[in-house]
Amino acid sequence: MPVVTIDGKRVEVEKDSTILDAARKAGIWIPTLCYHEAVSPQAMCRLCMVELDRGGWKQLVTACNYPVRRDITVSVESERAVQARRGVMQLLLARAPGNSALVALARKMGVEETSPYPTVSKTQRDCILCGLCTAVCEEVIGRAAIGFAGRGPQRAVAAPFRQPSEDCIACGACAVVCPVGTIQVRIHEDTGEAEISPFKSRAKLLTCEACGARLVSVPVAEEVLKKVRIDWDEFRKRARLCPACRRKRAAETLGGTVKQRQAGQPLP
Amino acid sequence: MIVAVESRLRSPEDLAEMRESLRARRRPGEKIVRICIGTGCAAKGSRRIYDLFQQAARETGLAVEAVKCVGCHGFCERGPIVVVEPGGIFYQGVEEPDVAEIVRETVIGGRPVERLLYEDPIRKTRAGRADDIPFYRAQHRIVLAHNGVIDPTSIEDYIEVGGYSALAKALTQMTSEEVLEEVERSGLRGRGGGGFPTGRKWRSCREAHGSPKYVICNGDEGDPGAFMDRSIMEGNPHSVIEGMIIGAYAIGSSQGYIYVRNEYPLAVEHLRIAIERDREIGLLGEDILGSGFSFDIRINRGGGAFVCGESTALMASLEGRPGEPRAKYVHTVESGLWGKPTNLNNVETWANVPHIINRGSEWFASIGTENSKGTKVFSLVGKVVNTGLVEVPMGITLRRIVEEIGGGVRDGKAFKAVQTGGPSGGCIPAQHLDARVDFDELTRLGSMMGSGGMIVMDEDTCMVGVARYFLNFLRDESCGKCTPCREGLAQMLYILDRITHGEGKPDDLDKLEQLAVLLEGAALCALGKTAANPVLSTIRYFRDEYVAHIEQRRCPAKQCRGLFRYRIEPELCKACGICRKACPVKAISGAKKTPHVIDQEKCTLCGTCFDKCPFGAIVKV
Repeated sequence: MPVVTIDGKRVEVEKDSTILDAARKAGIWIPTLCYHEAVSPQAMCRLCMVELDRGGWKQLVTACNYPVRRDITVSVESERAVQARRGVMQLLLARAPGNSALVALARKMGVEETSPYPTVSKTQRDCILCGLCTAVCEEVIGRAAIGFAGRGPQRAVAAPFRQPSEDCIACGACAVVCPVGTIQVRIHEDTGEAEISPFKSRAKLLTCEACGARLVSVPVAEEVLKKVRIDWDEFRKRARLCPACRRKRAAETLGGTVKQRQAGQPLP
Repeated sequence: MIVAVESRLRSPEDLAEMRESLRARRRPGEKIVRICIGTGCAAKGSRRIYDLFQQAARETGLAVEAVKCVGCHGFCERGPIVVVEPGGIFYQGVEEPDVAEIVRETVIGGRPVERLLYEDPIRKTRAGRADDIPFYRAQHRIVLAHNGVIDPTSIEDYIEVGGYSALAKALTQMTSEEVLEEVERSGLRGRGGGGFPTGRKWRSCREAHGSPKYVICNGDEGDPGAFMDRSIMEGNPHSVIEGMIIGAYAIGSSQGYIYVRNEYPLAVEHLRIAIERDREIGLLGEDILGSGFSFDIRINRGGGAFVCGESTALMASLEGRPGEPRAKYVHTVESGLWGKPTNLNNVETWANVPHIINRGSEWFASIGTENSKGTKVFSLVGKVVNTGLVEVPMGITLRRIVEEIGGGVRDGKAFKAVQTGGPSGGCIPAQHLDARVDFDELTRLGSMMGSGGMIVMDEDTCMVGVARYFLNFLRDESCGKCTPCREGLAQMLYILDRITHGEGKPDDLDKLEQLAVLLEGAALCALGKTAANPVLSTIRYFRDEYVAHIEQRRCPAKQCRGLFRYRIEPELCKACGICRKACPVKAISGAKKTPHVIDQEKCTLCGTCFDKCPFGAIVKV
């Protein structure tokens, strides 16, 4: 197994693990925004820059998707790496200076000031275009109801033609992974619908037949039924798990992390 | 000349036989009229001129086959270009009424039409042949050698001038390993901009695990003002295809793609015809020339996004996804198109390959400098007398390109800088004009080879404005995927906008440099990593211009509106009143026979008076 020497600490990782995996194993914090273990690394936000020693010259690389294939030496705390991460954070902060999640992360990284330009438009609500929502919708949910529209400064997350998407099942996965709270699930009590905002797509909610409490959206329930095999053996197995583990097992069934998917574990 | 090929070529001997029979039809002193139908000349109506020549040929009993449409000669600004054989008489700026005269005088009478020949602007002498024109004399044409000679839609023409002989040699006399070694020894480096050694790339792809393997030709030329690849694809499409087949043989690929932007309809058309003809006679498809090697090519048209010239974005686009780059920590030669080993080269790189195989790596390596071999095609544009496509040996000085081939700066102005490498390149000032043009030297000077754009700027060019122009282009063309490129370029442009509007702040230069460092280090792809080059190189060589804008609110080149004023020179003013009448805000006053005056309070700096004054009495100060 290759060894990653990261700020002087040596950790062994499996081949094709990332520098981020190694850092987490070594207990070293690298800030991330567009990384989520449920989806393949995007390396869009560039917040996880570290300096890779290539013997003779050094290169800034993104920790979240740099594959470790041989023994390497990485510096998280080098002047250049710190400056790069701070520079990226300043740019993101300029986009959404009022976002509390972003400000908190910036503080943790020692970034206080930023330039007053360019701020993101109101309709985009602090979106930093990290791509987690589009990735989770495509890779985990399998719908690709939202994607990137426009190029360069016009880039935005949107459903096709900026209309409510027919592919959206209002599962809310995009809202869960959004690191800055741009995407929200709104429950409309009057119509019994869930709306994924700002994409305007809506779906009817199931209600508990006993107490009338709101459950998941109707299309999500249908999707789940397609993915879950109902048999008594599995039911008995799960009945012996605690609620937390039972939930974890269910999550794996419905998508799981990239590693679980890559490992090709049979669905429980 | 159209020769029906009845059957497929099944061996190199078939090909040689076909070539011999094509050549046997040629007679010494044969009359041929070549009309350029490249995009430049076509825009000036050369298609119509071609039709008129055909009509004239029919009327005068001249063989219609003697009238040929050919690809770009490179001297596009003088188009439409018509060359008449025998003698290679080079006519420029040919218009419809000239056709009858050319046919009467030159084709039938054998006399040149003097007024249509190139005239040396200084010595006022006429040049009869292309070789007599300074624009062509200093060039060394390898890739462009047959542009302007052969009909790009005729495979027979290409075969007649020796086309596909390199392919025959590679397939039958050389092993794939020997082909690869030949290209490695030649020292050929990628012509698309990166300058990566082509042979090394091929070897990595050949040795990569996985199958099938793909080869791709990158014809997504997107630099403003650059048209090298277009002219090659339009003028000699078979040379690119031949290079690709040879490359595929060396690498072990059986499927190729040509990615060409849809804005190049003629290139697409000519490539399509070329591929069809190649398939018909067995130069593409199964068992090429009886060698057992099979290969085919597909054309994919791009939507015109600049970023799709980046290899991973191009492959994403080929796969039908949005053209956005991805990290190249795993190289495309290992995992490229559909995750398979993929070798991508630029149009010009592929077009060099047949020449290397035919004439040998030693010959190729004898041209150029130590680390940059062969020739490079540049599109020389901007404020030079002669603009167009030029193919020069690596190592030629910038001065020779600008002064000898380009004929120096237009209108007697002073040279200020030459911008090389496309939008992400840099500006090289006068003190480095004697630098030798090769990959490493241009990089050392803060610019780059790029795909070969070369824009000459004169003393009236504001370098801050130039940086702003290119940055604006790059900001719009950035895909927006990664933060530094998307947000950083927008911020840099914002700062440059401020500076050119006279609102620069003292720390703006530091901020620009900080952002440039961030882009270079943290951006995802080559577009972002090099995007700050126009700013960095202009700060490096023209810092005083930035300082003048920021500190004195003055544009030394007098281009940035608001950072200079208009004034009427009393000695030159003839008091004609044109400016007074033209001024939209009535800021100019003056009676008859007294020099006029501009009221600076009222003047909105629109420049109308400057444009209208017939005596040049209005000056920028």
